[in-house]
Amino acid sequence: MKDFFSNPLIVKEMRERFRSKRSFWILGTYLFVMGAILLGFLYITEMNTYMTPGENRDMFLMMAAIQYAMICFIAPALSAGAISGERERQTLHVLLTTHLSPGRIIISKLITSLAFIFLMVVATLPLYSFVFLYGGISPQQLSLFVLFLAMNIIFFGALGIFCSTWIKRTSVSTITAYGLAFFFVVGTGLLCLFIGMLLTELYPDKYLGDEVFNQLGLQWLASSNPVYVMLSILGESIGPAIEPDVTPWLFFSVVYLILTIVLIMWSTYLLHPVRKRYWGWKK
Amino acid sequence: MILTQQLTKHYGKVEALHELNLNIEKGKVFGFIGPNGAGKSTTMLILSTLLEPTSGRAYVAGYDVCKEPKAVRQALGYMPDFFGVYDNLKTTEYLEFYAAAYHIPPEKRRSLIADLLELVNLSNKADSYVDALSRGMKQRLGLARCLVHSPEVLILDEPASGLDPRARIEMREILKELRKMGKTILISSHILPELAELCDEIGVIEKGRLIACGAVDDVSVGTRGISVMEVKVLEKHDHALQLLEAFPYVRRLDDKASHFRFQFTGTESDKAALLQKLIDAGIPVVQFGESKENLEDVFLAITEGVGN
Ligand SMILES: Nc1ncnc2c1ncn2[C@@H]1O[C@H](COP(=O)(O)OP(=O)(O)OP(=O)(O)O)[C@@H](O)[C@H]1O
Ligand SMILES: [Mg+2]
Repeated sequence: MKDFFSNPLIVKEMRERFRSKRSFWILGTYLFVMGAILLGFLYITEMNTYMTPGENRDMFLMMAAIQYAMICFIAPALSAGAISGERERQTLHVLLTTHLSPGRIIISKLITSLAFIFLMVVATLPLYSFVFLYGGISPQQLSLFVLFLAMNIIFFGALGIFCSTWIKRTSVSTITAYGLAFFFVVGTGLLCLFIGMLLTELYPDKYLGDEVFNQLGLQWLASSNPVYVMLSILGESIGPAIEPDVTPWLFFSVVYLILTIVLIMWSTYLLHPVRKRYWGWKK
Repeated sequence: MILTQQLTKHYGKVEALHELNLNIEKGKVFGFIGPNGAGKSTTMLILSTLLEPTSGRAYVAGYDVCKEPKAVRQALGYMPDFFGVYDNLKTTEYLEFYAAAYHIPPEKRRSLIADLLELVNLSNKADSYVDALSRGMKQRLGLARCLVHSPEVLILDEPASGLDPRARIEMREILKELRKMGKTILISSHILPELAELCDEIGVIEKGRLIACGAVDDVSVGTRGISVMEVKVLEKHDHALQLLEAFPYVRRLDDKASHFRFQFTGTESDKAALLQKLIDAGIPVVQFGESKENLEDVFLAITEGVGN
């Protein structure tokens, strides 16, 4: 923690980001919108039916979906400008001549660009207490869900940082980060369905119905789809029924953790002005 | 202090530097002169460990730029030709950030920053936001920034670009101050008179090659067999122009309405012959002689001299 506050880059970024009033407006608006949606939803359902506390899961699912969508939208955008923004402001060269190592720069940038979104998630936690009132979700599920969100935030952040180191312009890097995020969130699921259906078409005698999805490869593909994993954590199901060998969220966490680490290391490598050659030979 | 050996850099097919050899001794101020695209910034980037040379070696304070970048960074303050500042940071916070980035202990930072701001005459702007400073102030702040870890070597890429004449003089005064402190400075510029007063040595670079190097007086036009002449006539301006253009040793003739200015590549007796020719043609010559050299001429003469 001491290291956290003495890390110059983190201190500087926090000053830069949180000094502007804009951050607080965004946070306020976000809380307001979330609250409004929640209350509106409550109001409308109350009108139709009488809701018994403890039985309604819809509300929680909706909140979860909104929150997840928000993370998908904001996390890559916040970090996709981290390095390319420095480059565009022409401060990157100077930064690289200091004693801050590229690895440290990448990590600090990741932390500071995600600090805001973590703040947003934490700020919405009180809203969940409403949801709790209506129940349908266990505390374990909720904490698992929060961990899941955290994993996603970090992964999308690393993805954004990677794009921003790799691509010179912030605008292009943001679009690329969104594209890649889209692949992970939607693409993996579609790919899984597509391959599954293709296999059933090709070998109708081997696979009957949804059985094909119990293939190990397809299971893994499904388990690396965040939407599928999120719903499985919340006890819902989507698409064909799968009886997984490995708990989806466990598989998901391991895979995305590894991906995150790879992305961070790769970004660090890319940020080195004079790259060390680990392979190849130079005269 | 700064040494390069056969330093070469290719950007794809473009050869930005070709076997550059430089040797700058401790405490010297070295002026780097060259036209746009000559390779000045490229050299400076390589020396600042920000760019990998294609081949050749470079040393700063005895450390190899590629192999010991950490040590080089400690010994060196680099100011790029263009640099930005951060928004939402105050001047002191800005400097504090860099001081921390150079691992300067927190208790020393405050007095250090006050001293630096004093040096660059920005003490009264200590609490302003950096993005609200004027260009010249930012430039001076940038200079203060590269001094935070009191490096022995300073690499300044066009520190005076975009400054008005007064700010330029101020910048020069600051650099003189730094020279007195015994720093080794490599400074690039297009504006030559500015360097003449400041530098111990200058190096002229063109198309990635060092074409002249030495003390300011040595790198003069005369040593390269070129002189800059000035001729003034009272009448028959056009006729004189024709004669001058036709004369074999006259190059880059500049018709300044009141007088002519040109480079002369011939010997002294050729000069006499030229004067004789003008007088024979009945042109009233009132002035004929070498122009009082300034560095501007050196620059034009030398850089063009090799290109042709
Ligand atoms: N990033 C780059 N990619 C490709 N070519 C480059 C790059 N940077 C510089 N060059 C080329 O290298 C050559 C030297 O450029 P450099 O910036 O060193 O010139 P300079 O002497 O600093 O010029 P100026 O006085 O305009 O600042 C130029 O021909 C330029 O086109
Ligand atoms: Mg330049």
